[in-house]
Amino acid sequence: MVKRLLAGDRRSAARLITLVENEMDDHHKVMSLVYPHTGQAMILGITGAGGAGKSTLTDHLIGKFREQGKKVGVVVVDPSSPFSGGAFLGDRIRLQSHSQDDGVYIRSMASRGYLGGLSRATYDVIRIMEAMGNEVVIVETLGAGQDEIDIIHIAHTCLLIVTPGMGDDIQAMKAGIMEIADIIVLNKADLDGANTSLRHLQGALTAGSFEEGEWMPCVVSTVSAANKPEDLQGIDELASAIAEHQTYLRKTRAIDRVKYNRVEQELGLIFKDELQKIIFKGLKGTGKKREYIESIIEQRNDPYSVVEEVLNTYLLPGE
Amino acid sequence: MKQTHAPTAETTSQGDWDDYIKAYYEKPASFKSWSGYDLKEIYTPEDRPGENYKKNSADAGTYPYTRGIHANMFRGRLWTKREVVGIGSPADTHARLKYLSQQGGSGLNTIADVTYEMGLDADHPWAIDEVGLTGVNITSIKDMETLTKDIPLDKVSWSLITASTAASVTMAQYVAVAQDAGYDVGILRGSIQNDPIHFRYCGFRPACPLDLSIKLGSDVMEYCTRNMPKWYYTTVNMYDLREQGITAPQEVAFGFGIAMCYIDELIRRGLDIDEFAPRFTFYVSCHVDIFEEVAKIRAARRMWARLMKEKYGAKNPRSMQFRFAVHTAGCSLVPQQPYNNMIRIAYEALAAVLGGVQSLHCCSYDEPMCLPTEKAHLQALRTQQILAYETGVTNVADPLGGSYYVESLTDKIEEESLKVMNQVEEVGGMEEAIRTEWLDRQFESEAVKRQKELDKGEKLMVGVNVFTTEQEKTTPLGVQKISSSSAKQQVAEVKELKRTRDMDRLNDAIKRLQDDANDGKNLIPAMIEATKALGTTGELLGTVREVFGYPYDPMESIESPFNF
Amino acid sequence: MAEKKKIKVLVTKVGLDGHDRGAKVVSSLLKEAGMEVIYLGMFQRPESIVRAAIDEDVDVIGLSYLSGEHLIFTPKVVDEMKKNNFVDVLLIAGGTFPAEDIPIMEEMGIDKVFRAGSLTESIVDYINDHVEE
Repeated sequence: MVKRLLAGDRRSAARLITLVENEMDDHHKVMSLVYPHTGQAMILGITGAGGAGKSTLTDHLIGKFREQGKKVGVVVVDPSSPFSGGAFLGDRIRLQSHSQDDGVYIRSMASRGYLGGLSRATYDVIRIMEAMGNEVVIVETLGAGQDEIDIIHIAHTCLLIVTPGMGDDIQAMKAGIMEIADIIVLNKADLDGANTSLRHLQGALTAGSFEEGEWMPCVVSTVSAANKPEDLQGIDELASAIAEHQTYLRKTRAIDRVKYNRVEQELGLIFKDELQKIIFKGLKGTGKKREYIESIIEQRNDPYSVVEEVLNTYLLPGE
Repeated sequence: MKQTHAPTAETTSQGDWDDYIKAYYEKPASFKSWSGYDLKEIYTPEDRPGENYKKNSADAGTYPYTRGIHANMFRGRLWTKREVVGIGSPADTHARLKYLSQQGGSGLNTIADVTYEMGLDADHPWAIDEVGLTGVNITSIKDMETLTKDIPLDKVSWSLITASTAASVTMAQYVAVAQDAGYDVGILRGSIQNDPIHFRYCGFRPACPLDLSIKLGSDVMEYCTRNMPKWYYTTVNMYDLREQGITAPQEVAFGFGIAMCYIDELIRRGLDIDEFAPRFTFYVSCHVDIFEEVAKIRAARRMWARLMKEKYGAKNPRSMQFRFAVHTAGCSLVPQQPYNNMIRIAYEALAAVLGGVQSLHCCSYDEPMCLPTEKAHLQALRTQQILAYETGVTNVADPLGGSYYVESLTDKIEEESLKVMNQVEEVGGMEEAIRTEWLDRQFESEAVKRQKELDKGEKLMVGVNVFTTEQEKTTPLGVQKISSSSAKQQVAEVKELKRTRDMDRLNDAIKRLQDDANDGKNLIPAMIEATKALGTTGELLGTVREVFGYPYDPMESIESPFNF
Repeated sequence: MAEKKKIKVLVTKVGLDGHDRGAKVVSSLLKEAGMEVIYLGMFQRPESIVRAAIDEDVDVIGLSYLSGEHLIFTPKVVDEMKKNNFVDVLLIAGGTFPAEDIPIMEEMGIDKVFRAGSLTESIVDYINDHVEE
């Protein structure tokens, strides 16, 4: 199946994505076969509050990349219901114009319980899309900068979409836009308050401190959801800004730092997950898990001491 | 909350006497109205303290018209028995119209199919598969001629159900045919639904962008106001909104909200409220909770009268009269145990008549399954006739008026409806509510609530969650087949028309339409001219769309054939 | 930690039909039943439906028909599925049909038809019972 994936077969890509999403069978083994064929695509992250217009912007950007002859993969992430575990994945509706384009592959994913909106599997899904032959992979998700699993660690270029008067601009400033995004997109710029929002955002940026040669986040105003083609605004500017950032990454070798961070993040996540599994399994096996937990509840012990004890016993002998 | 006992067919057929005995002592599980309002065991004069009859009710025919818009109601004129007709081709529809009018129908009523409402010609790539499946497609003046053949347009009352922006073309096509036949349009009687704004919620968003909806909808209204004094130029459709699953007060509130979008535009154009409001009408649902529906209608009448007088300063009594047609609720019907639908429809028709309706369409029992056969259509008409001639409900105006219950419920519906109208104001007004998709979210959440009520047994439906039986294998009164050869023929005729017509004449007419659109003029005259020049629905609408910055084709798959 | 594989359902309207109340309600309730629903919305053709179904690797395709178009579009959808060798999914349909058309639709390739008035449980149970692990 991996062979067919490398040849660009959609069905194989779809099946492999299901495999890794559900952590089925030998997904580890499969990914190790896929891995050598990755690393060459531009990964673009698009994030922002619901209703900000992410999908309509994605729709236009896909068009721009296709004009350049690039094949595009898109992962659209929506939240899973914390109650039922199910999800309503309706973003494809806004990506209709590319539904028959063989050079575009769109996949919807549910966050499946990950707070930041992205599961560990997202890394693998992106790799599968890269191996399939997509030169650009767009990852669209809700929320930003809230968790270690989030878009800024996955993407090379990160777009934060805000809209006027929703307070997003203030929130963004509070959270420190510089830490969140490479490009801030003020969408629905035809609404009241757009100018004020723009000023706030630009003000916050100039107030920040940047080292010589470092990328300073820029603000692009757009109007993405227009009934009439003539009302569309800012898409070309946005595409240029993205291209500029990509150039910056390559020229200054900042891309290396980005890649390093990505891998470090991912390794950390995998270690966390796997180690937790191993430790809990081991403790359960020796019957110690229940013992420890009850001792904590009965105030005979506390969580930190337990962890220290376990680690000293099993992982760090002699320390 | 379930019934204390609800035997299924299987148990009783096994002769379980225990269930039968329990059923004798059965109590209802819920004491709420359909829209969810708690109801008392009984209503008494104490529920009506300080009742001001003159102010809140008055007699029928007197402001605020709570009890009816005419003093003598049905004694003066029975409601129009106007069954909706639309099957296959214009010729097929014409035949059914004739049949029903021979059986006692008193008003003609034709409905556009999805392709026509979307503004597509019968030969459009998206239309070819679906022409005639849900109504009639009128691509050119030829189709309108076939539809109206031999019918004395100066004498009949014709309701044209085209709701989308295509209504502008329908009006032009009807007028063109009437004029060619030598009639003075000033004497034509009938109505056109013409409510593109609401049609956005029926799946026709590509054909009904908000600005174009207001523009073309108001063009029809203005043209008729000035040229067709006997024509009702809109039937603002709250029925379709109710079909989304909303409550009775929401139906009224959202319907009024949409109506005001058109009214505000007409006033902006310089028309005086009393010039046009007398011809403003509504399409209302009647669902199965008889008393709530009657109360809803009475509340709507009172609210409309006050709205026209207080907000718009209307002086003509006719401006303040809430004129409406009823379509019994399609969403109250189910395919399971289909004959049951006839009973539901009868109750809903009763509510409409007790409410004082001007024109009534009864669904046929097969509404949730297919288009009606002749037999089914006839049965719907008979439902109206039994109501009109046997039950005596026509004897007295507003027979439920004065009932402590119905008056209280009328007040309640009015109160709740005004609350919803306030909610809309808080969101920024109706246009804003539409633009931000606030309205969509209301529909979506109410629809889920209705389904959950059925799933949990909080609302009962015979054949659905109580007294269920095996699925039927046949449809009792037969299945109406839509002739695919009719459709193919219509497509072929359209192609032939496009091939053989005088392109010079058409080009001139299209150019004029374009110019008028650019100049902000009322587009109906130009559309009439273009229709007579054999311009088609898609061509007329497409030309206007382009002037407004939209793609020529709502489905974005064909280009304009005109190149000026 | 691997969870039980989620069932993915594609829900779509077909052709010009704009009656989407049922499709949206079913999608919402399938989500509440723990499934992942890809909602395609209106104005879909057989090609776009099958393309989405393949790319999303769904277990179920749900067609919503409320304008009498079910006998016209079902064969086209099934043909498109066959053309793409995507036949192992469950194919269900919901909406307004005369009883006589149901065996015809099943003959054409629909696994189960849910008429208007179907309770949610019947749809959820059917999918849970018939999707292969």
